[in-house]
Amino acid sequence: MKNTLWTVLLGALLVLGFASAGYSEVGVTDTEIHIGQWSPQTGPAAPWGAVARGTDAYFKWINANGGIHGRKLVHHYFDDAYNPAKTIAGVKQLQEQTGMFAWASGVGTACGLAVRDYLMENKIPWVGPSSGSRHWVTPPQKYLFNVYPLYLGDAQVLTEYAITKMGKTKIAVVYQEDDYGKQGLEGTEYVLKKHGMELAAGVPVSLSDTDMRPHAMRLRQADADAVLLFVTPGHVARVLGTAKAMNYEPQWMSTTTCGDFPLMIAITKGLYEGVITASFGLAQPTGNVGGVEHINDPRLERLAKFKTEIFDEFAAPDERWGYTFNAGIGFVEPLVEGIRRAGRDLTREKLVKELEKMKDFKGLLGRISYGPYDPEDPLCRIGQQEIFLQQCTADGGSKILTDWQTTEFIPMSE
Amino acid sequence: MIDFLQMVTSGIAVGSSYALMALGMVLIYKASEVPNFVQGEMALLPVFIAYMLIYTYGQSVFMAFFGALIFAMLLGCFLEFAVVRRAKNPNILGLIIITIGLEMVLLGFVSWKFGADQRVMPFPISSYSSFMFGNVYISTLDLLTLVAALVIMISLFLFFRFSKLGVAMKATQQNETAARLMGIRTNRVKMITWGISATVGTVAGLLLAPVFMEPYMMWDPLLKGFAAAVIGGMTSLPGAVFGAYIVGIVEHLFGGYVSMEYKAVVAFAVIVIVLCIKPSGLFARHYVKKV
Repeated sequence: MKNTLWTVLLGALLVLGFASAGYSEVGVTDTEIHIGQWSPQTGPAAPWGAVARGTDAYFKWINANGGIHGRKLVHHYFDDAYNPAKTIAGVKQLQEQTGMFAWASGVGTACGLAVRDYLMENKIPWVGPSSGSRHWVTPPQKYLFNVYPLYLGDAQVLTEYAITKMGKTKIAVVYQEDDYGKQGLEGTEYVLKKHGMELAAGVPVSLSDTDMRPHAMRLRQADADAVLLFVTPGHVARVLGTAKAMNYEPQWMSTTTCGDFPLMIAITKGLYEGVITASFGLAQPTGNVGGVEHINDPRLERLAKFKTEIFDEFAAPDERWGYTFNAGIGFVEPLVEGIRRAGRDLTREKLVKELEKMKDFKGLLGRISYGPYDPEDPLCRIGQQEIFLQQCTADGGSKILTDWQTTEFIPMSE
Repeated sequence: MIDFLQMVTSGIAVGSSYALMALGMVLIYKASEVPNFVQGEMALLPVFIAYMLIYTYGQSVFMAFFGALIFAMLLGCFLEFAVVRRAKNPNILGLIIITIGLEMVLLGFVSWKFGADQRVMPFPISSYSSFMFGNVYISTLDLLTLVAALVIMISLFLFFRFSKLGVAMKATQQNETAARLMGIRTNRVKMITWGISATVGTVAGLLLAPVFMEPYMMWDPLLKGFAAAVIGGMTSLPGAVFGAYIVGIVEHLFGGYVSMEYKAVVAFAVIVIVLCIKPSGLFARHYVKKV
């Protein structure tokens, strides 16, 4: 009798123990899903910190609406100050002490590269790195799903437009001395070669350099009639201002990174009017080529809904409603959709399977598609391959110049 | 030839903002014998205060700039009085660490209070207008910075040469004990020197802000100003200005003729070369103490 009692008690304890332990997947409990993210909240790249704050507000909104299959998203984001050493320390700490189910977005190519191998070796899903680097798909990784259109694609579409639609014959590139800038330069040269043209000038910019006079002078010497800028918004403002003072005014073009027109108009004191940039979404180009859209345009229904329900309710009072904040939502929408599709019985492998089935998923950005993992096919993890071109108006609006353009993947040269 | 002239002109233009930072560093080095790494942030905070006066309190640009300069004077005095003076028997390394710590505190405060967003300061002169001399251009703002650097250098020179306070500052720097024995309140003199230094740096910051403002805006001018001050000998006001123009011109000629990639760091190569040839800097006069 005594033995039976002990057996029943032990059995009950084991059952209760397993029940409270909840779920066997790392970062998933009966009531929570833990998602990690790094982002520069301080340091020179701090303006991009709004990406993580956008994601955070988006997750809070999801939780306020019941979560996903009865679980709340618990968002752990930390400030890495755009320093890869801090990124890897923070990622390892959160992963090994708290346990993340997956990682979302993450600003910076160098920061992402610092943790890519760690995440992949441990088979931890990472969705939507917040930079358009080819490294995310070269080679493709089973657990890494790119979202951001590659900078190579921005360069292709901008250069093609400058040559064929605007008749520009002398195209120059101002590029940051890192992956972002160098891939922009490569994409431009790729298209120029197709047209039998030479680059008028390639002007490198060091990230720490604030004096853009020699750079503007080099462009003026080359007499470039279109200049592509693969640099930070701050450097764009300085290059445009210096060139204007020199009475040198080519057609300026830039990337998705410098596509926040209200911000750019403000920091260039209006000089950004007429600048053409690539865009990965937010506006709706289809059916509106030639039209002008603003970030508060009620016709952009999804954006307007997010403004009222996410930004107004969950963003900090001094947060700016802008491109970067919204990008933080757009980059993680596929992850949230993948978790939703994976159902209540959530595992990392199920998430990967569901993401692989994703075809033409449309959130705030362009259409996003993945395919079954193939180590030889970068397109199975590339995500969004379409962008459109927009031109800045005097009041910071976007004049839509093209419909969505599908970009070509340029493999890394040997 | 036009290109060469343009590079030299642009070098002088950028050298002017380096010169203002270098003057501020030299002033403090003369008073406290410490390379002051909080020089940039002593200018940064007043610049953001000016921005706040304009946008939050609706002040005119002139009033805001005047307010920023007064604030800078008080800030410099406060940092010397409240922090630097409190260090017990500090050696140079200790003082350097204190200035680096203050730099982090002020930078953190500006980032927290004003946010990391990029912005620009309203200014009566357009930062995009310029004067053309043939095919050589100089922007109006650069010209104003050049004039400001030269006026401040001459004013400081006259101040040290002819004013009672200026002479007291020189005396304090040359021999603090003797100066104290002569009735000079050396602590007060040092405090005022920090105030003047912060004010001079703030002039540089206010002239940079119409082009671009962000919490890290003073970092590059600080490093280049430091390079200029070292080249000039750390204790010479004309030396600091001369060093700043050397740095600006060499940067531009190097960027134009040799390599744009390494333009931003060539100033530090110039330091090494100058210190190899003349270890005390180009314009330094050292006062040797007899034992």
